[in-house]
Amino acid sequence: MKHSTEISPILRDLRSLKVVVIHPPDEDREELLAQLQRIGCATEVFWPRVDSLPMDTGLVVMAVRPETLSLNYPWLGTNSSPPVIPVVTYENPITIEAVLQLNAFTIIPSPVRSFGLLTAIAVALTQFKASRLSQRYIERLEQKQAKLRVIQQAKQIMMETRGVSEEEAYQLLRAQAMLKREPIETVADAIIKARETLSF
Amino acid sequence: MISTDSGSAPGPIKIGVLYSRSGVTASAELTQLRATMFAAEEINRAGGVLGREIELVSLDPKCQSRNYADLTEQLILEHRVRIIVGCYMSNTRKAVIPVVERHNALLFYATPYEGFEYSRNVIYTGAAPNQNTLPLASFMLTHFGSRVSMIGSDYVCPYESNRVMSDLILEQGGEKVDETYLPLNARWEDYLDAAKQIKQLAPDFIFSTVVGEGIPHLYRAFAHVGLDPHRMPIASHMTSEAEIAIMGADVAEGHITSATYFQTVDTPKNRDIVARYKASFGDDLVTNMCWEAAYFQIHLLADAIRRVGADDPTLLLRVLPGLEFDAPQGRIRIDEHNHHTYLRPLIGRVNGQGQFDIIGSAPERVKADPYVVSHSLPQWIPDARPGLERAGDYR
Repeated sequence: MKHSTEISPILRDLRSLKVVVIHPPDEDREELLAQLQRIGCATEVFWPRVDSLPMDTGLVVMAVRPETLSLNYPWLGTNSSPPVIPVVTYENPITIEAVLQLNAFTIIPSPVRSFGLLTAIAVALTQFKASRLSQRYIERLEQKQAKLRVIQQAKQIMMETRGVSEEEAYQLLRAQAMLKREPIETVADAIIKARETLSF
Repeated sequence: MISTDSGSAPGPIKIGVLYSRSGVTASAELTQLRATMFAAEEINRAGGVLGREIELVSLDPKCQSRNYADLTEQLILEHRVRIIVGCYMSNTRKAVIPVVERHNALLFYATPYEGFEYSRNVIYTGAAPNQNTLPLASFMLTHFGSRVSMIGSDYVCPYESNRVMSDLILEQGGEKVDETYLPLNARWEDYLDAAKQIKQLAPDFIFSTVVGEGIPHLYRAFAHVGLDPHRMPIASHMTSEAEIAIMGADVAEGHITSATYFQTVDTPKNRDIVARYKASFGDDLVTNMCWEAAYFQIHLLADAIRRVGADDPTLLLRVLPGLEFDAPQGRIRIDEHNHHTYLRPLIGRVNGQGQFDIIGSAPERVKADPYVVSHSLPQWIPDARPGLERAGDYR
């Protein structure tokens, strides 16, 4: 593997990263906070409850402990949730299940060592960004697909009721959309609704 | 059998030493070994530490990274040592760290390296990139231009140094005309080919991250193809007085090095130490950045032992972070959080005696920042007095 001098913006921007640490006070937390300070991240510490995250939280490092299993973190699993790196002390199935629920890309094992945290942060942020991007891409594709389905259905109705060709049906839809200054799928949707209304 | 239990007088304070006497980086490591012996002698002559003598247990790893873990275990288990000084290249330090962490021993590391490391069991007394590469990059880009040729030894430290340099070149709108890595055991002919290539490319300067035996090869090859150091110098943060003594002052004159110590540091303390070192080890010997770090870390350690009244690593780690010491370069300090050392960056240019004329210096010691990814130029560089006019026809 040839090294590259192209360094990811994620690494470059680490010094403006805000990390929320949800961890009980112990040696692991001391090691975590000291290493985050060396890396140069801003940190804010909570334990055990956090009902809402501070503004601009870019990453959450969170102890997954028996005492956190029953806690509900309302900011988890939403569209705006930041990536989470779990700090794991147990490897029993229940704890692993809790880790899986966090959709983590990497974990930090306890006892925490300074070595490895920087790489874990880089992996988590990079994979999180990539996953967000592909999620958005899928959403856009799905929306586009839905529009196409509506237009196809409307064309079908036009072809049946007016006896026109598919191309003519499309041109009629397009002309209506331009006239009403609306997206073509809105016009198509109205045609489908009208047909449903008429045919009950 | 003589009892060594508490109650009887404690024996000497043992310090393990891992500097190579042969191998690719032996020339610099031998200076670190001598600095360690010199400092230990000074302390012992003054009555030792807590009335105990310092005893060095020195093993020779021969620059082979595979030897380091075994020798460290040997020091700890057979020689009952818990404090070790040594290592040069990063792979040797990486081999020692797991062992000292497992046995809760301490490693003092006196060599500039590429950063991105912290171990609670290591004290780093050499420069981090923000204390040598960064000042060097700023100085060279300001005074020579931004078309840069890079040549280095093929291992991790040069890659990282070149990454920092590349960033700053791009920031200045400059150009990296060439980036070559030669194996650690590359021959004279390889350096000659590289020098011919550099001559053709005609960069503004050469950034060298070559280490050890390759350094004299590079500078000789450079002179051999007729390149002029005053027009197109080699800039390095590894080339020291030790390598210049090998290649000869005539070949080295005019080239530029960034370091946190040069033998020419003009303070009464440094003049005195250099004179005493020469008197006891030989008048032809020179000091250098690695020598100085190896020297002051022994005194720093002795000071820490005095403060806690013991040589136990756990106790020493309570006082070493934050500890200050009057080193030959000036007052240094171990950072509380990253275990690296506040050092004073200098820019030196080789003179006709094979010593460095100091042509730039930071106004004060600089905190080591081993985890910085994006560097920004230090403010003191534009104020450096390069004295380049004196060198003749600098454009």
